[in-house]
Amino acid sequence: MSEHTPNPAEVLMHHVTDSLWYSLNVGPLHLQITKHLVFFIAAAAVVLIATRLAVRSYREGGVPTGVGAAVESLVLFIRDEIAETNIGHDGRAYVPVLCSFFFFILFAALIGLMPFSSTSTGNISVTLGLAVVSFGIMQFAGIRKYGVVGHFKNLIPPGLPAWLLPIMIPVEILSVFTKPFALMVRLFANMLAGHMVITVLLMLIPLMAGINAAFGLAVIPVSLGLALFIMLLELLVALIQAYIFTLLTAIFIGMFAHPAH
Amino acid sequence: MNAEGLAYFAAGIGAGLTIIGGAAGIGRLAAAAMEGIARQPNAAGDIRGAMIVAAGLIEGVTFFALIVTMLLVLLIPKG
Repeated sequence: MSEHTPNPAEVLMHHVTDSLWYSLNVGPLHLQITKHLVFFIAAAAVVLIATRLAVRSYREGGVPTGVGAAVESLVLFIRDEIAETNIGHDGRAYVPVLCSFFFFILFAALIGLMPFSSTSTGNISVTLGLAVVSFGIMQFAGIRKYGVVGHFKNLIPPGLPAWLLPIMIPVEILSVFTKPFALMVRLFANMLAGHMVITVLLMLIPLMAGINAAFGLAVIPVSLGLALFIMLLELLVALIQAYIFTLLTAIFIGMFAHPAH
Repeated sequence: MNAEGLAYFAAGIGAGLTIIGGAAGIGRLAAAAMEGIARQPNAAGDIRGAMIVAAGLIEGVTFFALIVTMLLVLLIPKG
């Protein structure tokens, strides 16, 4: 009987990439329920439940308590510091989208830190979806104010000499697409890298034990300490990446809704 | 000196160079932020916020290069 002992690279990739859990056929559709999808839905459910509980805590008088107070402080932060600072007076219309981005990315990252779970934003398809929504909101913001033609005319900075136009037009059109692309890759890489580092640090234990059992025992406290430190760092990175995604989306919305005239 | 060994070697050097650029940039940013906070302690909150945003952006760019390096490693054909 041949035993396939996976090498470290395979174990690492198995931990951080998607794996099929359940496959079902609904009519002509072949749906594949994968691990990242399950935790994606879990993160979305947590966002919905948390905000519903927050709204409910407003009922007994105007002061929210508990979950409501936490959610309210975050929403106020997004409305005042992120939306109105960057988008201006009509920033309030975009606060729901920005709050959705912030809460979803934050909860997806926090859920991913629990044992046996996975960070759904560590899948490029999920961040691609977030980036597509972000792209759509940016274009919507510009087109709503200036119309389609006006929105594309606003891409070109004013006061540009005519000979620069053949260079600037492709550059500006390209930058419309690179902005959400950068958002996508930044979030994906941050979430993926954190989990890869944790997995590698914890894999040191069996690797060292393969050389010598005493090495394996000696490296346990070191490995666990480092993995714990990296997990604490991941908490911070989760918050920062959610904030940066939301902030950059708001900045880009502001750039399209209020271009420099 | 076979091709597969060279490919892994190249990916390793790529990752190392990437982290030099990223860490140098963020180090300069942190130094400037420390200096700013030392000059005006009551602007510490604003400076800290701006520092974290800038660090996140620089790290994002570093991760672009890291993704390229990881793609190089993963796309090496076996044998």
